[in-house]
Amino acid sequence: MKISDLLALSYENLRRRKGRTALTVAGVVIGTFLIVIMVSLGIAVNVGFDEMLQSMGDLRKITVYGWGVNGSEVQLNDDAVAQMSKLDHVLVATPYYQPRYLSFNLVAGKNDRYQTGYVELYGIYPEALEMMQYELKSGSYLPEKGTVPSGNKPKVQVVVGEQLGYNFTDTKKKGENAYRWQGMTDAAGNELPPFVDILSDTMTLKSQGSEDDKQLVYQMDVLGVLLQDNEKGYETYGGVFMDLNVLKKLESDYMRMNNIKAETTNTYDQVVVMVDDIDNVEAVEEYINDELGFQTGGMSSWREQMQGQSQMLQLILGGLGAVSLFVAALSIVNTMSMSILERTREIGVMKVLGCGIGKIRTLFLLEASMIGLTGGLLGIGISYLVSFALNHFAPFLMMSGLGNILPMYGSKISVIPVWLSVGSVFFATLIGFVAGILPAGRAVKISALEAIRHE
Amino acid sequence: MAPIIKVDNLRKVYRVGQEKVVALRDINLEIERGEFCCVVGASGSGKSTLLNQLAGLEKPTRGSVSIGGHNISAMSEKELAVFRQHHLGFVFQSYNLLPTMTAVENVALPLMFKGVPKAKREAMAAQQLKKMGLGKRLKHKPTEMSGGQQQRVGIARAFVSKPEVIFADEPTGNLDSHTTAKVMNAILRLTRENNITFIMVTHERDLSSCADRIITLKDGCVLRNEKIENPAQEFEVQLSPMDEEYIAQEKQERENSDRNNAAGDGQTAASPDLKENHV
Repeated sequence: MKISDLLALSYENLRRRKGRTALTVAGVVIGTFLIVIMVSLGIAVNVGFDEMLQSMGDLRKITVYGWGVNGSEVQLNDDAVAQMSKLDHVLVATPYYQPRYLSFNLVAGKNDRYQTGYVELYGIYPEALEMMQYELKSGSYLPEKGTVPSGNKPKVQVVVGEQLGYNFTDTKKKGENAYRWQGMTDAAGNELPPFVDILSDTMTLKSQGSEDDKQLVYQMDVLGVLLQDNEKGYETYGGVFMDLNVLKKLESDYMRMNNIKAETTNTYDQVVVMVDDIDNVEAVEEYINDELGFQTGGMSSWREQMQGQSQMLQLILGGLGAVSLFVAALSIVNTMSMSILERTREIGVMKVLGCGIGKIRTLFLLEASMIGLTGGLLGIGISYLVSFALNHFAPFLMMSGLGNILPMYGSKISVIPVWLSVGSVFFATLIGFVAGILPAGRAVKISALEAIRHE
Repeated sequence: MAPIIKVDNLRKVYRVGQEKVVALRDINLEIERGEFCCVVGASGSGKSTLLNQLAGLEKPTRGSVSIGGHNISAMSEKELAVFRQHHLGFVFQSYNLLPTMTAVENVALPLMFKGVPKAKREAMAAQQLKKMGLGKRLKHKPTEMSGGQQQRVGIARAFVSKPEVIFADEPTGNLDSHTTAKVMNAILRLTRENNITFIMVTHERDLSSCADRIITLKDGCVLRNEKIENPAQEFEVQLSPMDEEYIAQEKQERENSDRNNAAGDGQTAASPDLKENHV
């Protein structure tokens, strides 16, 4: 007996009891729908977390701090950084050095008309910039052996964030007119450019300090511009990167000039480790914490915590759905038992005509599985519709008070990934199959003599 | 020639509560290939039990049944299913057609269990049905056919895979005597044509007029086992005057109701057909 024949027989048997089949399928539809929607809410929370975190920076970055896990003394120096960069899955580790005794003001224009007041300045290993996967909008990364600023008008090589120009304010104007920001338009709706064009205007770094301090003045030589990418971090917006050694030299020059006495600065407050994949972040972070002893602040530790919460939510919601699918399974058992009771004689006839008991078992398992499969498919279909509607009306729903019940961190209330839709259909079919085992066993036990029995 | 069916010391005891009921007492039988064999006896004589035993539908308490040299009493359910597919056919008293299937599909059922592809088995089934004079009923469901037509479908189903032995349990028990004659003659023709051994249980003695062998049971024992030398080649209805009157009356009634149906629900296309084929 061929499988196509078995399928046709099963289908025909379900079809002739339309009403009963439909009711049983409806049970599975509701069960599947509930599970999928409930889990999709949990997943949406997760996706929302990730969206939120990503807007805060690259999730593959681990920030290592210059202090120990339990407040213990540790040395975050070049050796430690070298150790980290040798770990598996680590693309690159580099200090993000921000000078302790030196801060710069970035100025431009005639008589320093445009100023930033403060500039986000990082000293990093020059070769690391590319490996951190910052994308260039124009120009090039820092050269491995850059020039040391010297001479009368010393120039310092830098790579800057795309929108650095917007950090400048106009000192000659007051109020709102002193600022420019991304997306700002004039009365006619034309976009206003920043006061300073980072590619063509001359920008100068001036050290800040008390008035009688001697000032360091460097002209910026913009080698490259980083493509703005909020997922990578704020530095692609308005950061200034320079060679770590150059920055250290500038700082020591400044300290010498102003007679600042301090310990040598061969340790770092902050080192950034870039991991190849988000899933390996946890392991690397654990190693740095446990084996190297440094405190870390990766986004992934946040992510874990948040995922733990949403997993709990998914479990509770999914559990509710599972209960209704379980009830549906019971109704499949009931339907199949009824159907077998009604078809006792038919089963006997089939046996007498030479239908093997294995085929009879398969026949009923197929029928039960078909109920599960149909229910699963319809259930996932309805889930997609409802999910779409939920997301479509999300802003409205959030306002009308649902937001108090359902946390919404991202742009969606409900997310159904492919694995969930495939998995739920498979699961519903499996439920049908399992529910069919008992009735099918009973069908197999029906005696061939039933066919002979007279009414 | 070796007998196709051999029964050795067959005993069947049913347990009803605390009591034991002996349905068959140590039966010994031999049936030859191609025989048309009738098992007769009063109700309770054990004839149905014997048929169930011969067909392997029940296990004997003691003794054995072998068909074509295979001891079916020793077979597992699985082996029996395969054996039935290849060697046995069945005709039931209450037709036992599957209600969801058309005539063709019902006849093709044993072939389906054997694994014959759909197109081939349905062609074979259609051919068999045409032989039975049901060429116009191929796509009809059992509920759309008369008892005689249903039973002819049942017979076609038994013969379609050309089995060696066909068992029939009161195949005409639900039919009127006129239809009985038609059905019996169809069976006779097919068994003789294909040299099929046919074993029929009946309590109507006159059905055995065409039999090659008549086995008479009484209280679970073989009372007589007669080999008939020159059986009748055709089955004829022997009607008493009372029967004839009854048949005429019934025919009249049927025609009336047909006419009413035709007028009532507009099934004009179907009803003349029904009348003419109504055996």
